[in-house]
Amino acid sequence: MQNEYYRIAGKEQGERLESRVLEEKIQQAVAAGQRSLLIEAYGQHGLGGRLWKAGADQVQVRIEGQAGQRVGSFGFPNTSIELMGPASDDVGWLNAGAEIVVHGHAGNGLANAMAQGKVFVAGNIGARGMTMTKRNPRFAPPEVWILGSVGDYFGEFMAGGIAVICGVNPQNPDNILGHRPFVGMVGGRVFFRGPHAGYSQSDAKLIPIAAEEWDWLLENLRGFLVRIGRAELLPLLSVRTEWQLLAARSPQERGVAARRSMASFRKEVWDAELGMGGLIGDLVNLDRSPIPLIPTGDLRRFVPVWENRKYLAPCEASCPTGIPVHERWRLIRDGRMDEAVDLALAYTPFPATVCGYLCPNPCMQACTRQIAGMMPVDTSQIGKASIKAGLPEMPPLSGRRVAVIGGGPAGISIAWQLRRQGHEAVIYDMAKVLGGKISTLIPASRIPQEVLSAELERIRKVIPHVHLQQELQKGEVERLRQDFDYVVLAAGARKGRMLPVPGKERLITAQAFLEGAKTGAIQPGKRVVIIGAGNVGCDVATEAHRLGAEELLLIDVQEPASFGKERKEAEAAGAVFRWPCYTKEITAEGVLLASGELLPADTVVISIGDVPELTFLPENIATERGYVKVNERFQTSDDRIFAVGDMVKPGLLTDAIGAGRKAAAAILALLEGREADTAACTMIDRTRVTLEYFDPRITAFESPEQCGSQCSSCGACRDCGICENICPQAAIARRDKGGTEYAYEVNPDKCIGCGFCAGACPCGVWGMEENEPIG
Amino acid sequence: MPSNRPITPSTLSAKDLLWQIQWDKEKCTLCGSCTAVCPVNAIELGVHRKRVVETALGIDKASSSIFKVYHGIRQKTDPAYACVGCAMCSLVCPNSAIMPLRTDEADKQIYHINRGGHPRSRGGRRNVPGGILDRIKFMRISMLTDPALDAGRHEFEIRTLLGRVLPPEESLQHLRENGWIPPVREIYPLIIGSMSFGALSPPMWEGLQMGVAYLNEEMKMPVRMATGEGGCPPRLLRSRFLQYVILQIASGYFGWDEIIHAIPEMQVDPCAIEIKYGQGAKPGDGGLLMWYKVNKLIAAIRGVPERISLPSPPTHQTKYSIEEAVAKMIQSMYMAWGFRVPVYPKISGTSTALAVLNNLTRNAYAAGLAIDGEDGGTGAAYNVSMNNMGHPIAGNIRDCYLNLVALGKQNEIPLFAGGGIGKTGNLAANAAALIMLGASGVQIGKYIMQAGAGCLGSESDRCNICNIGLCPKGITSQDPRLYRRLNAEDVAQRVVDVYLSFDTELKKIIAPLGRSTSLPIGMSDALGIDDFHAAERLSIKYVV
Repeated sequence: MQNEYYRIAGKEQGERLESRVLEEKIQQAVAAGQRSLLIEAYGQHGLGGRLWKAGADQVQVRIEGQAGQRVGSFGFPNTSIELMGPASDDVGWLNAGAEIVVHGHAGNGLANAMAQGKVFVAGNIGARGMTMTKRNPRFAPPEVWILGSVGDYFGEFMAGGIAVICGVNPQNPDNILGHRPFVGMVGGRVFFRGPHAGYSQSDAKLIPIAAEEWDWLLENLRGFLVRIGRAELLPLLSVRTEWQLLAARSPQERGVAARRSMASFRKEVWDAELGMGGLIGDLVNLDRSPIPLIPTGDLRRFVPVWENRKYLAPCEASCPTGIPVHERWRLIRDGRMDEAVDLALAYTPFPATVCGYLCPNPCMQACTRQIAGMMPVDTSQIGKASIKAGLPEMPPLSGRRVAVIGGGPAGISIAWQLRRQGHEAVIYDMAKVLGGKISTLIPASRIPQEVLSAELERIRKVIPHVHLQQELQKGEVERLRQDFDYVVLAAGARKGRMLPVPGKERLITAQAFLEGAKTGAIQPGKRVVIIGAGNVGCDVATEAHRLGAEELLLIDVQEPASFGKERKEAEAAGAVFRWPCYTKEITAEGVLLASGELLPADTVVISIGDVPELTFLPENIATERGYVKVNERFQTSDDRIFAVGDMVKPGLLTDAIGAGRKAAAAILALLEGREADTAACTMIDRTRVTLEYFDPRITAFESPEQCGSQCSSCGACRDCGICENICPQAAIARRDKGGTEYAYEVNPDKCIGCGFCAGACPCGVWGMEENEPIG
Repeated sequence: MPSNRPITPSTLSAKDLLWQIQWDKEKCTLCGSCTAVCPVNAIELGVHRKRVVETALGIDKASSSIFKVYHGIRQKTDPAYACVGCAMCSLVCPNSAIMPLRTDEADKQIYHINRGGHPRSRGGRRNVPGGILDRIKFMRISMLTDPALDAGRHEFEIRTLLGRVLPPEESLQHLRENGWIPPVREIYPLIIGSMSFGALSPPMWEGLQMGVAYLNEEMKMPVRMATGEGGCPPRLLRSRFLQYVILQIASGYFGWDEIIHAIPEMQVDPCAIEIKYGQGAKPGDGGLLMWYKVNKLIAAIRGVPERISLPSPPTHQTKYSIEEAVAKMIQSMYMAWGFRVPVYPKISGTSTALAVLNNLTRNAYAAGLAIDGEDGGTGAAYNVSMNNMGHPIAGNIRDCYLNLVALGKQNEIPLFAGGGIGKTGNLAANAAALIMLGASGVQIGKYIMQAGAGCLGSESDRCNICNIGLCPKGITSQDPRLYRRLNAEDVAQRVVDVYLSFDTELKKIIAPLGRSTSLPIGMSDALGIDDFHAAERLSIKYVV
């Protein structure tokens, strides 16, 4: 330190110099080579900074009087400033290297933004000291030494440098660090000695003082105390245990908030206050622990169910006889043609005649394949093949007997079913051969005679036939009722419905015509008019054509209801359909219409339906609109008398056969003293069936085998194993249950309820059900 | 479904649907996760027949037609199984092979979701994205005109008052004369609005309450949550956490007998009582908790038999006018806790809100008024109510506040705003805008479901199936198979995160305005908007 100072006064002629003027004087003095300056300050701003004009030379600045703010701002490393009294605000602001000594207290903002240099304060400082300080790696870190305490918000945004706070005669003995220090601190270190009232934990942390840091502190403490003239304090300040060191948290440390974990809060606070299980632990004992999105077992939302044969296939459901057609295709697929053929006999005594030739096959009309525009599987093929069906061995007779009046399809069906169950059913019929309409009315063109004969022969072998010589008379049913356990009325509808018009006696009924045509007793002539253009009318037209008629006219009051083979054959025979035509009279010339037009005819056939003969019935048998009234079990108002077939309701052959089967089931139940099983299965939802596995190009089936391969087996497992393979969890396995029995089973511990099995199944056997509700 | 088939008026193609599933055959591994997780069974395994005709170049060899079958994910087009766009399929897909995309065309499904004559009902909120709150700017940056504040280092007092504040002279008079001084709570201005236990799943509700308790006890933030109209679990009623709870009473009075039974055993008073008259999402309509949500637990809390539907009527049956409703309901509710607990009504945003407010100003007991605007959410309402009924909250709250100013009572009856706050994620900005328009605090519901539990619902009509109990995130379901997807602890943690970040963001907004120790309630000179008419209507500055 030089002894000779160049004195610069801050006041001239009693007038205080402006800061600008004093600054000019200082700069000029330094430029002129002055290196020791004594400034008498009068509140001027920024004294002692910016003295670069001295180059590498050291410049001493001693400030007496009252310095203004920002002493030593922009201070250079060559500069050493000494304030001989207390300092105002912002001492060492943006200091870039100057050493500044304050022999007293300092105001706010000390060392704000200071980057290099040192500030020594012999007292306390105000608020916001050491804020925004930095450390440039090119230089030594800035240092701030405070003998006493610091004011509020110390070290805000401190990004580097070292502060030492000695805590000697602090302003507040209880807190030498002030209020909320080190907020936003990101760098630097702070040694301090004395009590504090907390600091920003998220920004700063206490660290142990390493040996070299203690050594540095002790060594530099001595220098500090010497500079402020308080060397005697060294022993007091050399007690290592009184010092603490605080550093900024690293960015990595900041992420981890020093907060209680929620798990700990839940356990130690939440559950402690509320009780085990928390908020609702007293109300439920369900497991509420977290689960993943795709769980298995009880936690699955949906569960696959192998609903094999739970629902009827559309073919089976729509067959009035109830034949499970798809089951027959399955047997064929399995190479069991014989069984497929024989199976039908459990349902119908006419598997070939009806299914193969005479039935319009509602089963095919219902076939699921049609919703995708594919040919229905051809039932008539297996129907025709059923001519080979062998008569099964019949059980011995039980002694229970049922009388069946009428040997048509309905009567034969019920007798057939009863006999198969070991009960005797005797058919009473006026015809020489059984078969009813099948034998007597259906044109020979519709079915080969040998097929019909073979099937009737098969029936004849097991069903006794009482050939009546005359119509049943009143009272005879009552007698049969006494002799038999049950009586079944199955006499059909054999009375042609007539029109109440003049000349009706000239009409021949369709039944009479067809019977006569079959036996050759009829010569229709060239012109035939048929009143009633239904399927029977069509049969009449076809037969009339066969017998030489040339003009065939079918008239009706409405659009004809005829369809299918009958209609096609009539049209092929040249039949003309006309409607609406209202018949006024039948004359020798033909049919006179209400319009006055005459339709010339050699023969006029009336074919507007048949009604049953009811005159022989006991009084107690209720009728309705000309038919016998029955309940859903085909039981009449006399509970031991049943009625089936056209006596109950006109229908297809298959309707009559189905009625016989159902009525037989009801009688069997009564015979065996049990409730009849009336629980009807529902038909499968066709959308469950997957048809994409089948070839859409097939336009005709070449063989029963091909039919079998193209049947999607709606509702009945094809045992194809696609479900096993599509299951992403390998949860489905086929279990052999012995013989031909098997089941596909789901392992609930693997299954996730994705529904792939249901989506992929060709048969629609897999259903997805909502899992059992929990809670 | 076969391609060649009869159609009905409601037969739709995938293109007609609002949400269309895009599935990539190449990436799909057929793991079944998507179909297993889909909440509405919109997708299924499909079997597809594929034909390839192979013809040799030059046609010198016989060509062949080969059919192959492949399996893939197929979207159902029946509107009853319409995809809701929740994208849980995308969430679980290991190969990113599936994703719902919103139609690029006008929605056709909307015309067919009323089958059986039942108009659509759903959860969520008005299917109109955005709103005016996002357009309000804070443009009075004080910096040098007031002491500049720094959200990061200054200390803030983010608090508001819930309760009737008497004018000083009245207060002193009451004090002198040992009169009744209304209870006032100092609370955090962001309130979790009423969502019932029942509408929300057990882990969601417990998670919210746990988060609120954490904020109070660990973070010293006096956050409050309203129960909604579904009662309150008995344990909560008897715990110290009850002080963080605003109990709601509404027209169904569900669970209130349990609350009454608990009063003698309460350790602390609840924060306040909210009387619900209306809800922003479905003003003038009641609530309905469908029977499938009313399991044993919900039945116990609500005090009803299991598995019955619980409708709340649109109105309280024993109230006939504003005056009567306010007077007798507020009296009754005060009486239950010895006049120690503030009681305030909540109404839906409406052009008649001023009439209600004016009545409240004349009722010395009214502790405040909560208004729920048209963008509020709900667990179940008719789509038509949600989309078309109600009043925007900004104008409603502003009218009410300016009315209080005209009466000189703006510091006496706090207004609370709800409905669409944070609808586009700008929670703090929306809240600050409403506070500066005059709200003392804001209520959030949907936002906390989205931020706190990952609710997928949005105003693009995504998900929004809270009403059918099939919430894919387990937020609004009572089925353990769904709600166990949600962990109460995780929800609580998210609630804490939301509040802490909101707190910082709110400070970031109000600090530049020079506010730190009191909320800038009604400080509308800070607000501007680039719409002249909106500025006029809200009495704020028009700025461009």
